[in-house]
Amino acid sequence: MRTAISGIGLCGGFGTGIEAFRKALETGERAKGTVTVRSEEGPFQGPAYLADTGPLDRFVERKALRRLDHFSKLALLAACLAYEDAGDPAWDRSKTGLVVASGYGPLTTTFAFLDSFIESGDKFSSPTPFSHSVHNAALAQVSMRLGITGPGLTVSQFEMSVPSALLTAWTWLEEGRVDSLLFGAVDEYNEVLGYCWHRLFGPWGDDLKPLDFQRQTAVPGEGAVFFLLADAEKIDRPPYAYVERVRLGRGPYEPASLPQEACLVLGADGHKGCGSYYRPLLGRSYPVLCGTPSYGSFPAGAAFDVAAAALMLKEGKITASCWHSGTVSKGCPLEGRPLCCLKMGPDGEWGEILLTPWKGKDD
Amino acid sequence: MKEGVPVAVTGMGCLSAAGDDLSSSMESVFRGVRSPAPPRRFSSSHPLTYPVFEVADDLEGWGGGQDLSRTARLALKAAHEALTRSGWNKKDLASLRVGVCLGTTVGSSLNSEEFYRLYLRGENPDLSPITRFLRSNPAAVLAREFGLNGPCQTVVNACSSGTDALGIASRWIRAGLCDVVLAGGADELSHVTYNGFISLMITDEAPCRPFDRERKGLNLGEGAAIMVLEGEEWRKRRGKAAEAFILGYGASCDAYHLTAPHPEGRGLKQALLEALRLSRTAPEDLAFVNAHGTGTKDNDRAEALVLQDLLPGVPFLSTKGYTGHTLGAAGAVEAVFTAACLQAGRIPKSIGFLHPDPELPCSPVSQVMEVKGKAALSQSLAFGGQNSVIVIGKGETNP
Repeated sequence: MRTAISGIGLCGGFGTGIEAFRKALETGERAKGTVTVRSEEGPFQGPAYLADTGPLDRFVERKALRRLDHFSKLALLAACLAYEDAGDPAWDRSKTGLVVASGYGPLTTTFAFLDSFIESGDKFSSPTPFSHSVHNAALAQVSMRLGITGPGLTVSQFEMSVPSALLTAWTWLEEGRVDSLLFGAVDEYNEVLGYCWHRLFGPWGDDLKPLDFQRQTAVPGEGAVFFLLADAEKIDRPPYAYVERVRLGRGPYEPASLPQEACLVLGADGHKGCGSYYRPLLGRSYPVLCGTPSYGSFPAGAAFDVAAAALMLKEGKITASCWHSGTVSKGCPLEGRPLCCLKMGPDGEWGEILLTPWKGKDD
Repeated sequence: MKEGVPVAVTGMGCLSAAGDDLSSSMESVFRGVRSPAPPRRFSSSHPLTYPVFEVADDLEGWGGGQDLSRTARLALKAAHEALTRSGWNKKDLASLRVGVCLGTTVGSSLNSEEFYRLYLRGENPDLSPITRFLRSNPAAVLAREFGLNGPCQTVVNACSSGTDALGIASRWIRAGLCDVVLAGGADELSHVTYNGFISLMITDEAPCRPFDRERKGLNLGEGAAIMVLEGEEWRKRRGKAAEAFILGYGASCDAYHLTAPHPEGRGLKQALLEALRLSRTAPEDLAFVNAHGTGTKDNDRAEALVLQDLLPGVPFLSTKGYTGHTLGAAGAVEAVFTAACLQAGRIPKSIGFLHPDPELPCSPVSQVMEVKGKAALSQSLAFGGQNSVIVIGKGETNP
């Protein structure tokens, strides 16, 4: 059994859908949004990769959208796009799993619930934001909207949320618990998050430099990406790529078990605290790529690394504006090389997602 | 290792309002005592006081001087007990592939009132609640504390998180991804969730009464429970007897409503049947069912319908009457209780249940009952319409 990526849906600071994402990767487009953050020195205005969920009205009636919060809308939009991208396969949704990763969960509804009783007293606590503030709220909305009734899982492991959740998704497919699985990641920007970010890291500019490990250059972002995964033998169109394996660990990362010809797609997103764990990888024989300047810094961003890798594998070439070093360069054909997405955490945790290309019908 | 192959539990730890460790918890539930009380660690301006089930221990000694959340400290204490019972030490674990899979709700929520109140006032609050939150991811805390190098996963499936974490961890063992996994759940009592469940009007102002005609809702609790899951290779090498086995796990989404279960328990049925199928367990093998049994009208009705339909005659109970609803920890606490009861060959009375509800097709046990069978179920339903069922097999030693 091989796990294939049969559809990808995404929304982020670059726009909505796979074409907008491809364009952002190619042109190296940076953050277009602006956020204002309170600070001791007065309001700070900084760039941010902010997502627009307007295109969701193509899938969900506007009346129903009024009751949805931004976090759930992000997830729902990406999930609907993933199914559409896969050709809306008529797979049994009672045998479809649903796995969602989020670093921080629905922050805005969490604070909205606190607002309800901080402002007016405990007896005025509002039930709606409370029920929407559970971390699995996005999963619930996706399952209800798409009629998915297989097993569900939401994982919150900060920077490691994506590889950790994907590990379980992969095992569910591998053991035959599900026939297909919708895997996604979502995080939203919130003004309190921006305030904390500014206090912890100081003001930020618009030039996210993922391989400059000496400096804090992270730029906040938000967005969602979903992948429709299935056993390669059960899909009727060429997949983007295969998810060959997922590994997690803690301590020095050793790429020794990777295929020699692999390229590394680093999840480095401008956070200096994680930089020291990425730095040793630059001196190895593996070429290094990075797409984070196209989507920003947030825990779910690791899933955008996977989307970028899958897209590059499908197109068979290195996307032009990715950062690079080593033996690959702009527009370089991949020639069947696997891509290994690596995410490092601030305590030395690492997550490795190895993607391999589809090589034709007999693959 | 394939599905249906039992995964050994070589150690268990548990703390809740029912007791500070597993043996004291079992002793108190079989005595039929419980200790709901007004919240001690926070105050509320609600006109009514709703009882909660707090862990007495302030847990100040846990965390080695780190500024950690109470949820993380609860997890640490339960993990310490479980590892002690399993016979593993830090040094030996360092050479193995050891994973951590924990469920929580409060433990993953950035909802510090102390910080946010000051933020709203335009002040520049101390960031320590934020940095504490960032340091306190429950699974990461255990991995750091015990120097573990395997996969790390905090499951946030609301109230089914603990059950899901155990089911997922058992797969990691079966798939050969880990030699050992620390799995379970932890959650602290919080003013935020206290207000939340009251606002939903599903909190009972009296001690909770699962499956009782007069039930009015849940009482919140706090706690943690950890199981040490171990692959057969290492267990045989150590000659370690199993305290229990995880035989199988089933899960599903209702795809029906954010906070209410499907009225006929559609998703629960699917999860239960999946758990039985994958564990190769027949209904007649079951000694009992530890139900989710929150004491809310909707939950208990859906569960009773499913139990009567799929497992008629199998005794069931809710242990939430002893612990309160410990949210992300609940599934783990109840799985540990299930394993201990299975081994003891008896179950406690479903405390709080006095009057059969004519609207329910079946009722829980009202007295301590001797049970026979090689397996038992523990099941959880959650916000988001998630349902999870785990099949526990009888162990080889007296826990």
